[in-house]
Amino acid sequence: MDFLYDGSFEGLLTAVFEAYYRHEVPERILSRKYYQESLLDQVLYIRTDPSKAYRVYRSIKEKISPLCYKNVYYTFLSEHEDAATWIYNYLRLGWSMGKEVDSCLADEQVLKVHSIVRKVVGERHRMLGFIRFKLLADNIYYAGFEPDYNIVGLLAPHFSARLPDQNWILHDVKRSLAVLYNKKRWTLTPFSHTGFISASDCAPDFQELWKQYFKRIAIPNRRNPKLQKRNMPVRYWKYLTEKQLPG
Amino acid sequence: MELEKKLNILADSAKYDASCSSSGSTRKNKPGGVGNGSLGGICHSFSDDGRCISLFKILLTNHCIFDCKYCVNRASNDIPRTFFTPDEITALTLGFYRRNYIEGLFLSSAIYKNPDYTMELLLTTVRKLRKDNRFNGYIHLKAIPGADPRLIREAGYYADRMSVNIELPTQNSLKLLAPQKSKDAIIKPMSVISSKILENRDERKHYSSSPAYVPAGQSTQMVIGATPDTDLTIMTLSENLYKRFRLKRVYYSAYVPVSSHPALPGNIVPPLLREHRLYQADWLLRFYGFKAEELLNADNPNLDMELDPKSDWAVRNLHLFPVEVNSADYSMLLRVPGIGVHSAHRIVAARRHHSLDYGSLKKIGVVLKRACLFITCRGKYYGNISMNEALIKDSLASAGEKSKDKNPQWQQLSLFPSPDRPVPAQVLLPSITGEL
Ligand code: SF4
Repeated sequence: MDFLYDGSFEGLLTAVFEAYYRHEVPERILSRKYYQESLLDQVLYIRTDPSKAYRVYRSIKEKISPLCYKNVYYTFLSEHEDAATWIYNYLRLGWSMGKEVDSCLADEQVLKVHSIVRKVVGERHRMLGFIRFKLLADNIYYAGFEPDYNIVGLLAPHFSARLPDQNWILHDVKRSLAVLYNKKRWTLTPFSHTGFISASDCAPDFQELWKQYFKRIAIPNRRNPKLQKRNMPVRYWKYLTEKQLPG
Repeated sequence: MELEKKLNILADSAKYDASCSSSGSTRKNKPGGVGNGSLGGICHSFSDDGRCISLFKILLTNHCIFDCKYCVNRASNDIPRTFFTPDEITALTLGFYRRNYIEGLFLSSAIYKNPDYTMELLLTTVRKLRKDNRFNGYIHLKAIPGADPRLIREAGYYADRMSVNIELPTQNSLKLLAPQKSKDAIIKPMSVISSKILENRDERKHYSSSPAYVPAGQSTQMVIGATPDTDLTIMTLSENLYKRFRLKRVYYSAYVPVSSHPALPGNIVPPLLREHRLYQADWLLRFYGFKAEELLNADNPNLDMELDPKSDWAVRNLHLFPVEVNSADYSMLLRVPGIGVHSAHRIVAARRHHSLDYGSLKKIGVVLKRACLFITCRGKYYGNISMNEALIKDSLASAGEKSKDKNPQWQQLSLFPSPDRPVPAQVLLPSITGEL
């Protein structure tokens, strides 16, 4: 039997809740977003219930650990189609072992979660560096990007602590999601506007200066495009100022 | 001269400095200010040589009264010269920072007029950033050898990190290539900074509100391969620098020929592999509990080019191996080739639950290709050769060769500013984080 949830985090936690109380161990927990029904599958549709989700949330934090909760959330953000199933198996172990679950490094279930979490954490960390803001005409700093994982919300606290005195937008173009910040607070919201106009009257032209600087700071005798690409994968270049052609 | 031209000239002159690390600062933003530190450091881009760009690395000026033979900016070199004003640097730093191009500023300078004059200008610049513009991002500031200690002391209240480049490992080499620089002029500011850091730490224990002094510590850099100094000399010096001045990092910079001079090696290729080995050995000193004298001695004064320094040490000390992974203590695990700081930690954590079998070692991150020669697991030895120095050396070297063919990047990995704290393994490569 497979459980199907609506793709939201609450939905996923509700599915975990149901799995416990129905005494029905699901084979997989799947998001409806990616689910392709086949005739032979037996599925149970889970209706998202925030109060059930909240109970699971409390139980993870109190009976297992805050770290475990973070792992669950980050695994969810990976949007991997098996994410919910991995989370379920990891949590079962967690409820039987308590906070020690995260030092069970030889366990298959724990490893799966840890390794996907590492990837999400890694991309978040990378993006802290690779985000590029452009100053728009109405004094808003705008950054578009297309991360592999759904991390835009994870970036918001960093940038609101760092750049609190400017208006900015972090726009996940791929998922049509954005964090908007207005010098006071940030919100995560659906967002699909593109084609902004950069502030043109602003001198000096920092984008141009940055491109120049980028070119000059490399040591020619040590050129190493392979290493560059490994550290800064080409899929991210589209939004990097220094990788845009001049003009 | 227009800003863009100046930027080109002064970035060109600054690029040979290896350090670009932005780690070690927990500086918080203050109301009305901009910027903060990130303890582990953040890379914002990677230049065409594959190095991380974290800081806006720039010279205030490349006008120099000195004539150090290995340096592009030496007085006798015919290159365009210019300088930035403190306001220009401030504007560029903030403009770049607000667009998230950088973590902060790495400000250095050639020696213009005299050391005090130059240091004064550097100080004015960082003061402007911190005070007038309330900038709380990262600042790495060069201390100019020979400058008044008073200036250096003050600058440290604005900087997160300071550095004085030791340039060359011996007094003789200095005499030969940087005749106007004396060992004393270099060591003096280092010791001023290091004792001030200690004093400040003490102060802050009693008065937590007193401002932090160079909170990310000091670092230095030396040029490798421009002089005949051995790795033994270099590593012993580094060890002393870590001990005596509590440096956070020593950077090694393979000499890139920038001039021809009878005292310099001819048209050489930068010794990148040697530089890489020195970084590996440096990691062993800082995180693996090794001493320089264990790695090198008068009979073996240079690091092996074929084997990494840890494997090389292990091969010379086969009587200590194999060790049982399920019982060896942490410090011994660290000495096993193929087991890095991360995997040693994880082994210790995981074996508390149940004894580890061979298969789980791989999952934990142990590089079995190397480690299998030096360990037993539940009493069983998995290496397919006997504990014989020559055989093991051969087997390690050929394993190394193969991986080298697949990843020729080994030559430049080391220039990556290894953070002072581990960063997600996936972002950095194993040999950068020093997982040897
Ligand atoms: S003092 Fe510094 S900038 Fe001037 S020549 Fe020597 S190393 Fe170069």
